[in-house]
Amino acid sequence: MDHSSSLEKLLRSVAITLVLVFFLFPIVWIFLMSLQTNETILRIPPSIAFTPIIDNYTALITGQLRTAAGSLQLNFMQNMFNSVLLSVCSVALSLVLGVPAAYAFARFKFRLGEDIAFTLLSFRFAPALLVLLPLSLYFKTLGLTNTYIGLIWVYQLICLPLILWIVRGYFEDISPDIEHAYRIAGNSWWRTFTRISIPLAKPGIAAAGLLAFIFAWNNFVFALILASADKQPVTVGALAFVTASGIQYGQIAAAIIISITPTLALALYAQRYLVEGLSMGAVKG
Amino acid sequence: MTAAATEMRTPVKQSRFMRRALPYILSLPALLMCIGILIPFFTAVYYSMLRYRMNLPAMKGFIWFQNYVNFFTDPKFWNTVYISLTYAFLTVVLELLLGLGIALLLQRPSRFNNIASILLLLPLMTAPALAALMWKLMTHPDFGVLSYLLTLVGIHDFKWASNPDTALFTVVLVDMWVYTPFIMILLLAGLRSLPKAPFEAAALDGVPRSFVFFRITLPMLMPYIITATLFRLLDSIQQFDIIYAMTQGGPGDKLLVFQVQAYLDFFQATNVGRSAALMVILWAITYALSNVFIKQWLKLRERAHGAH
Amino acid sequence: MSQLAIKSLTKSYGAFKVFDGLSLAADAGEIVVIFGGSGTGKTILLRLIAGVEEPTGGVIEIGGHDVSDIAPEHRGVGMAFQNFALFPHMSAAENIATPLRAVGAAEDKVKAGVARVAKLLKIDHVLNHAPRELSNGQKQRTALARALAAEPQILLLDDPLRNVDAKLRFEMRLELPRLLRQSGATVLYVTQDYKEAMALADRIAVLANGQFVQMATPEDIYMRPATLGVARLFGDPSINTADTAIVADGSGVHAAVGGTRVPLADSYRSLAGRDVIFGVRPESVELGSSGLEAEVMAVTPLNERTVLLLQSPSGWEFLASLPSSAATIPEAGSRVRASFAAAGTHIFDRQTGERLDG
Repeated sequence: MDHSSSLEKLLRSVAITLVLVFFLFPIVWIFLMSLQTNETILRIPPSIAFTPIIDNYTALITGQLRTAAGSLQLNFMQNMFNSVLLSVCSVALSLVLGVPAAYAFARFKFRLGEDIAFTLLSFRFAPALLVLLPLSLYFKTLGLTNTYIGLIWVYQLICLPLILWIVRGYFEDISPDIEHAYRIAGNSWWRTFTRISIPLAKPGIAAAGLLAFIFAWNNFVFALILASADKQPVTVGALAFVTASGIQYGQIAAAIIISITPTLALALYAQRYLVEGLSMGAVKG
Repeated sequence: MTAAATEMRTPVKQSRFMRRALPYILSLPALLMCIGILIPFFTAVYYSMLRYRMNLPAMKGFIWFQNYVNFFTDPKFWNTVYISLTYAFLTVVLELLLGLGIALLLQRPSRFNNIASILLLLPLMTAPALAALMWKLMTHPDFGVLSYLLTLVGIHDFKWASNPDTALFTVVLVDMWVYTPFIMILLLAGLRSLPKAPFEAAALDGVPRSFVFFRITLPMLMPYIITATLFRLLDSIQQFDIIYAMTQGGPGDKLLVFQVQAYLDFFQATNVGRSAALMVILWAITYALSNVFIKQWLKLRERAHGAH
Repeated sequence: MSQLAIKSLTKSYGAFKVFDGLSLAADAGEIVVIFGGSGTGKTILLRLIAGVEEPTGGVIEIGGHDVSDIAPEHRGVGMAFQNFALFPHMSAAENIATPLRAVGAAEDKVKAGVARVAKLLKIDHVLNHAPRELSNGQKQRTALARALAAEPQILLLDDPLRNVDAKLRFEMRLELPRLLRQSGATVLYVTQDYKEAMALADRIAVLANGQFVQMATPEDIYMRPATLGVARLFGDPSINTADTAIVADGSGVHAAVGGTRVPLADSYRSLAGRDVIFGVRPESVELGSSGLEAEVMAVTPLNERTVLLLQSPSGWEFLASLPSSAATIPEAGSRVRASFAAAGTHIFDRQTGERLDG
């Protein structure tokens, strides 16, 4: 394999470059747009020669958007806050609930466990609206529509199965003898769980938590159906932006950049866990 | 020693009940979650058998399978089926080919290849709805950079998602941008986990590379390919975010895939019965597909665990 | 009062019965070796005693108390696992310290306790290492140290020498008896190596088919195996056997083996006519000027002993094991005469495999 000709090497490099351009260009271009005024954005031909401005970002952060039609109040920071709150709380709750359950599925072979695992597995690919539409009617009756609690609750549909599947695989890889040894040494079940099982499954818990966070952050349809403007995360909020009349394109671009930065940064920072989680989630489960 | 031992004996009884109940207590949240899924699911099935329009509450009534029967003669329904299947087929095939190609390019674990594969994660980490917005900005008729680039090769007035003829192409492109890296990562992991021996033997024997690829690499990679494909297929046939954010199902009825149609039926036409029936049909399709899928998946999972 | 008592213990997994009524009593300080082939459930027995698995029926008593409802952490048991089961995220010292910390010992007590067992097991120099940095021998010693650290009244050792190399196994076999005696604990030691069992045990309990087929001192097990199965398990090379019947006539009691008559003790007269299996240990086959004629088919020197494969004119093949220091060792192809020493000769019922005493 190592005696590839230099022509082949060249072709490979060209191909990889093209691939990288296709997949990275949109992010770079939108970032560049976010640093421009409407005037420079609307230039034909488009050019990367411009004086970068941060007005778009400051406008978003202060919530005062100057448009052609005057000043517009758009509280994008509220969307950002909602995204952070919903994602962080959902993942935290999912970890608290899901890690012990994943442990139960991995360690104890019991009928109910098998049934739950099977149900969750078979609904893992069910269409979201199948559950969401009836749920939206129930939420109205229960007064949960447009509440953080209600949203965090339904976000468990995204996070919990993910955590169950990935973490369960990691628990299964821990030798039960290690846990037995710790118990026999004089420790209670709970101590063994917290001092042995959890630390040893930590990479899996980190990977699952990370993926769950990203999935929660990127979710669109749950909040679209169950939340109004003041509780919507950035994914839904940014969409409303586009339709707001007279808005500056640079501001939309800046909103997109702000919205995708957390997940992209997390992905780059913890890519090892992420790749492991993705392939575990898909392959190892 | 014996004295110390006897003294240590402070029998702390643990209740047998607690011991037996432990697995059930631990899995209680998961159980509640199941119930939380199953109740709306059965409600949806029930709704799908109702004549239920929220704007005409008086008409509400149980009509058995009439909603489903109506679909047979409903061209809108068949349009939905056609669009959904086309979308799923196109995205999966294109993403698979492209993802496999990229995985093969990046197969050798060099520093550059590793950095490239990490950078390729970024589109996958972008919320699909936001990705659609990004492409909307890039394909804008007034200032879209892609529209401009097309004029350089002599294509003028390319309308992307707002033209019925190119709308499908546009959303498929966005889908490819977001999800090709997913297939790439899985196949890359698969490629790198293949045993070395067959390849070394083939290289020694001077076997042509196309033969190596089709007779060794591809068959050994097949479980990964099948897993990645089914994963994507199940997702793609239910795509909502990209299409809704891009065109809300338009122009016209061009992109009314299952979930978008059900969403519009529910919230715009307020036809709960029809919306629920659509979702139940989509669920049946995905359920059948996922059964095939889960079998494959468990096989692969077993293998992955065995390799540990 | 025995320190550890097991009474008609049963354990099944679904329809599969692992134990079908085990009983055993061990006194304080006694070393009992649980011996059996693989798959006989030796490890499961230790787990049941430790409390990490529940028996299907029967009673386990520690220090005279039924421990059915007592959690593993309160049973006062120490256990060393075959796969070591060290905590990978803790240093060797912390591994050893766990039983001491679990009872809330003061820091200086913990330190002293760890130092004591570490010195005993000669691992003081690797205490700061993580388990993955230890050799197999050091892992095994760390696991033993951890089991011993809290001076448990019952020590369960699950084939601790299984995963260490031959040299180390040899050293430990010499070292362990002293160590275990010193601990003063009642020891249940699982192994499937009969030499280890013989070297360590006060008593050996032989496990087969869900039951203890024999429970006796090493000497008794070897000299008076209760069944053909036990006789086969103890001894290397294993016991020679021949199907035969006991004949009693005017000339005495004997059995036909390999085409010749082997005289038996007169006490076997009452069993005349019975179909039996005649067994003789290779080390009890004596070569001399009289006895069964046989041809030497092969000679295999094994360190201290040399094993000969012999064949009688009737075609019966059997092994003889001679000290390698013996004055003359016949060559392959030569003809010899073999006789069987009474001490290594056993008669088993052909149907039940049970030992028949005259």
